[in-house]
Amino acid sequence: MKKKILVIDDDLNIRDYLVSLFNDNGYEAYIAGDVKEGIKEANKIKPDLITLDIEMPGEWGPRFYRQLSQDPKLKNIPVIVISGLSGHQYAVVKAVASLTKPFDREELLKIVKETLN
Amino acid sequence: MANKLLLINGDKDFAGALKTYIERQQYKVVIASTFDEVRHQLDYLSWDIIIADPFLSEDMAACLDSAKKKNSLVQLIILTQRDKLETAMDIFESSVLRYLEMPVNSKALDLALIAACKNISFNIKVSRYSETLADLHSTQDLLNQLFEEVPCYISVQDRNFRITAANKLFKQHFGSQIGEFCFEIYKHRTSQCNECPVAETFQDGKSHSTEEIVTSKFGKQYNVLTQTAPIRNEKGEITQVMEISTNITQIRQLQDHLISLGLMLGSMSHGVKGMLTALDGGVYQLETGLTQKDDDRVFKASGQIKTMADKIKNMVLEILYYAKSRELQYEETTVLTLAESVISSVKPMAKKNAVKLEVSIPKNLGKIDVDRKWMEASLVNFLENAVDACVLDRDKNDHLIKFYVKKNSRNQICFTIEDNGIGMDTETKDKMFTLFFTSKGSQGTGLGLFIAHRVIKYHGGTVEVESEQGKGSQFYICLPFRKPDNANNVEFPMANH
Repeated sequence: MKKKILVIDDDLNIRDYLVSLFNDNGYEAYIAGDVKEGIKEANKIKPDLITLDIEMPGEWGPRFYRQLSQDPKLKNIPVIVISGLSGHQYAVVKAVASLTKPFDREELLKIVKETLN
Repeated sequence: MANKLLLINGDKDFAGALKTYIERQQYKVVIASTFDEVRHQLDYLSWDIIIADPFLSEDMAACLDSAKKKNSLVQLIILTQRDKLETAMDIFESSVLRYLEMPVNSKALDLALIAACKNISFNIKVSRYSETLADLHSTQDLLNQLFEEVPCYISVQDRNFRITAANKLFKQHFGSQIGEFCFEIYKHRTSQCNECPVAETFQDGKSHSTEEIVTSKFGKQYNVLTQTAPIRNEKGEITQVMEISTNITQIRQLQDHLISLGLMLGSMSHGVKGMLTALDGGVYQLETGLTQKDDDRVFKASGQIKTMADKIKNMVLEILYYAKSRELQYEETTVLTLAESVISSVKPMAKKNAVKLEVSIPKNLGKIDVDRKWMEASLVNFLENAVDACVLDRDKNDHLIKFYVKKNSRNQICFTIEDNGIGMDTETKDKMFTLFFTSKGSQGTGLGLFIAHRVIKYHGGTVEVESEQGKGSQFYICLPFRKPDNANNVEFPMANH
């Protein structure tokens, strides 16, 4: 069965990019445009991995992570931060990785593969 | 060193005996027995004591007189025949130390010489003292000149912070306010400043430094770097403190430009990163679309690449728009649209802080030429400050901000922003539009009202402020309906003003 990845980013173009990239590499990608939607989707699809943007309208990425880690059913899902914000690596310290936009495609796929295995 | 004594007497034997007697008392004695010898000795040598018979020649009186003029410190003792003494006294009067008669009484001579020596040593002391005094005067003049001419504001203050002395530049910019309080002159305050380097120096005797914003007698604001130094009395007690302030307004203006540039670059770089990622995504979609022969994906990817290229182009234009001086981007908009947009931006903040808004915007105020982006940001800043002033006020239970828009008699559009928040003291009121001045401590940047005020000024508008501490503030912002004639020459926000 394909591993499920939830992409949370407010930029439609970046969401499309990540979805294509993950689908093309044998994963099943899902999307959410903000924190609220992200929590809803995470509960619904129970993803194996989440990629998270930091700066989004409304609530920001670290708040999503806090809510995620407080939910016993979701707290073990690994999170990869992908953000253009400087200092993002300090925003979610427990993330498995923090990548800076524009990220290296191969590096992201390598981290995803290692995390899911 | 032995005193030099010239003995003038026509009687060589007498003079010789006298010389032997005097030399025993450690004087260096030379005898002049003829007028020529006298003249020679007086012309070429300097003498401490002269014992003279003034009747050696007719010209002796004039000769001795000129010797006395040449060296006013020389001690003159007259030694002559008893019957000539009175004549000598008539001639020389009080310019002579002693009048002795021949043949001389050795005791009288000894006493005369002792008196002469005392005078000589007294004269030496006086002359040294005069030299020291002259040195002191020139040092004082030099120090005074330095104090006056140093290109800093220098004031000296007593324990009550009253100015006791000030230099030229200080007087030029702040007036000759000797005796007035420092905080009144520098800051137009009625009480001592909260953090006062002068008070600290009085307390610990060390030099302290602060950065201040002061107001000149012409109402101009200066950023100054202030340093203090204690002035002590002979017992080592601090009696006064000197305050030296350097005007760093221009440096601060430069920093203002750099900060604007830094803020702009920070926000831009975040946007650029997002765009590059999306562009990268477009390239990926295009490549994989071509490989997979997926026309939809190729089509979508080329659209995305095009959109990103446009976005990057716009961003570059925006960078140029900020980095280079630019004209305000005037557009015609209705006063109603502008005012409503401003209010809708502030509403959430007011609501969150339980501050009521009373708004009056008549619909028939017509159209106005403004740079809408900047004007909205400026008015919002004034309103947000009003909300802050209400939040900080703990004395009143209900807080209200009134926002009225109307036309004034000079055909200008006027925005009245009135709050019942904490109000401002005179210092805050004076300096609120100065760069980096903030009354909000670490919560404020000192940039907001500075930029907001500039926007109004560059639109040819004015801002008037009334405020009472504890009661609230009123801002009257008036703008011309049409673009001012010099508007095209106005650069914003990078212009140096």
